[in-house]
Amino acid sequence: MSSIADGTGRVETRPASQRRSLPVTAKLALLALATAVPLLFAGDYQLRFLAEILIIGTAVLSLDLLVGFGGLVSLGHAVFFGGAAYAAAIASQALGADIVVMLAVGIVTGMVAALLMGIVVMRTIALFFLILSLIVGQIVWEVVFHWREVTGGADGLRGFPVLTLHTGFATIPLNNGVALYLASVVLALAAYLAARSFVTAPIGRALLGTRERQLRMSALGYSIPRIRLMALVASGAIAGAAGALYPFVNQYVGPNAVHWTMSAMMIIMLVIGGVGSLYGAFIGSAIYLGIQTYVSSYTDRWQLVVGLVFVLTVMIMPKGVVAGLKAAFGRRKDAERRS
Amino acid sequence: MTERFPLSRRDFIASAGAAALTSAIAAPALAQSANKPLKIGMVTSLSGPFTALGESMRAGMQMFLAENGGKLAGRAVELIVEDDQAKPDEGVRKFRKLLGQDNVDIVSGVISSAVALAVRDVVTEAKALTFISAGSANDLARKAASPFVFRPTKTNWMLGHTAGLWAYEKLGKTGCMTIGADYAAGREYIGDFVATYQQQGGKVGKQLWAPLGTTDFGPLLTTIAAEKPEFIYSFFAGSDAVRFLRQMREYRLSGKVKLIGGGALFDQEDVVSAVKEAALGGLNTCNQSPTAPSSAAFTKAYQAARNVMPGEMGTAGYVTGQVIKAAVERVQGDLSNKEKVKEALLAREVETVFGPMPFDPRNNQAILDIYVNEIKEGAGGVPVNQVIHTYKAVRDPGPVA
Repeated sequence: MSSIADGTGRVETRPASQRRSLPVTAKLALLALATAVPLLFAGDYQLRFLAEILIIGTAVLSLDLLVGFGGLVSLGHAVFFGGAAYAAAIASQALGADIVVMLAVGIVTGMVAALLMGIVVMRTIALFFLILSLIVGQIVWEVVFHWREVTGGADGLRGFPVLTLHTGFATIPLNNGVALYLASVVLALAAYLAARSFVTAPIGRALLGTRERQLRMSALGYSIPRIRLMALVASGAIAGAAGALYPFVNQYVGPNAVHWTMSAMMIIMLVIGGVGSLYGAFIGSAIYLGIQTYVSSYTDRWQLVVGLVFVLTVMIMPKGVVAGLKAAFGRRKDAERRS
Repeated sequence: MTERFPLSRRDFIASAGAAALTSAIAAPALAQSANKPLKIGMVTSLSGPFTALGESMRAGMQMFLAENGGKLAGRAVELIVEDDQAKPDEGVRKFRKLLGQDNVDIVSGVISSAVALAVRDVVTEAKALTFISAGSANDLARKAASPFVFRPTKTNWMLGHTAGLWAYEKLGKTGCMTIGADYAAGREYIGDFVATYQQQGGKVGKQLWAPLGTTDFGPLLTTIAAEKPEFIYSFFAGSDAVRFLRQMREYRLSGKVKLIGGGALFDQEDVVSAVKEAALGGLNTCNQSPTAPSSAAFTKAYQAARNVMPGEMGTAGYVTGQVIKAAVERVQGDLSNKEKVKEALLAREVETVFGPMPFDPRNNQAILDIYVNEIKEGAGGVPVNQVIHTYKAVRDPGPVA
């Protein structure tokens, strides 16, 4: 995260190397450790749950590109994710569920969906962007919901083949917790690196520019709709990759995956985790799904807990839970740097 | 029961000990499992569109377990209830949690057919003993049937089909219109009704559809008023049914046009208790009736506990408990051999509040008595589903051979 919106409209950007104290090797070791710990202690169910957190987190990460860097709050993001999920599930019935093929199908679906949506929404921002993306999303949902022959309608799709990985020697089925977890770790990591390089690349800077100084960017000769369209397509590609794996965690995909409430859930996850931080997407997804899955065992009113967490986050930790906790524990590096 | 128990267990251990080494290793585990509490997982909808139904289902199951002193076949029962929000993805997650983390012996519940279909592969893969309390899409008893998924509930076909028979015989050979909720269940109910009614020789007029969650049925009701049908076959559930019946009354159509529907349209607890007089005269075919002879004691107990007559979901929770009890008791509380549990449950019928319930060995689908209910004024002027006819032992066509 080399760029952080500070909430006042100013943006601080600096190369990642200046802000990070840990060397790359140490970071990699930490990462490997963090990946390995669940493998030792978690059962099949928990690993699948982690896989789901990582996959949905990856979709939220792609939303962060739009919201955190382009100021484009989309209520149609589930179309990229869910559309790719459906495409993968449908394609797997004909092509088999090779993970590389599925990812390709998902990424292409996500990009095409983003391109089509982009053509409709790229000239708008704020409320109009929100409404237009919502409408496009709901059109897709209606199609999915009623096209029973292809999508299974309200019942969704199940009974497609399990995900496989073709190596040179053998075909490995990815139908257990460990395999799905490892696949989603790789997906999440690749998506994170791709998103990071996008925001540090000139196109990412230009996207920030369109949010912060629209007029100046136009005056400098940038085509704002074009930049937004490119951001949408990049975001769609990442969301599509995540969507491609999603059906295989539970061997099921249903119309909820493209419904606007899915998009809204992603926004809530993003806000809880921290808008514009990229990594926060995974934190938010873990907190939301954790509450939904575990708190709901104790109370029917779990949505109240999600609501409270959301409100508290917005009120006292507007930059997300991680940044908020860091600040609360006295590590105020960010604050000092700003002042 | 508790006296007989240790004996049979000791016998078993003795025989196992005499047998091969592997079964000798398995025996202590078996002996232990009889003393361990029996964990029953229930997934139902406690938030989302089916909240009221889910709460009734949970209450029915809890009532049943309380009546049995929290024990089945001598084993203490631990009930773990999870909320699926009527969303398939969430339902799958909750089934995985119950099976993978809570290690339940039995999973049960489910209102939404979409959830029931979505979890099918999960429970099949895990070979989990599953009792679907209410999800009723036809495919669940056909293409999606599964060796260890038992269905102590109806399929949509059972209700649509019997309504078709009744309508042709008693309501009229022509002058039929249909109006239904435009989603999977609505399409199935209406489709099965129309198929049977036409097969009998009946003629169906206009067919109307309303999206799920329709608030204003006005345009459809004026169409009905203009068409002047003899009767209407309809399927709506929950708040859609409540709004539809109220607006039928406001348009002065109730009473003029005979209305027959799926059980959910006139569900005693969920709909009739809310719309009251607007339901009077309505007909429905349902696997449950608060006035069925088999339901007499339960209806009384439920009314005492919840201050309302039971509808399908409250009863379904209770019946699921009854079927689980039968299964567990027939194998003396030892669920380790699932084939044996299945064999025992399919061997003979279970007496339930729905009525006698044998299971179809092809798909583990219950073969049920289907009641034709008419809403009449009961004691104290309260509209009640009164049984006016019973179709005995209705059996879903099942998987095509």
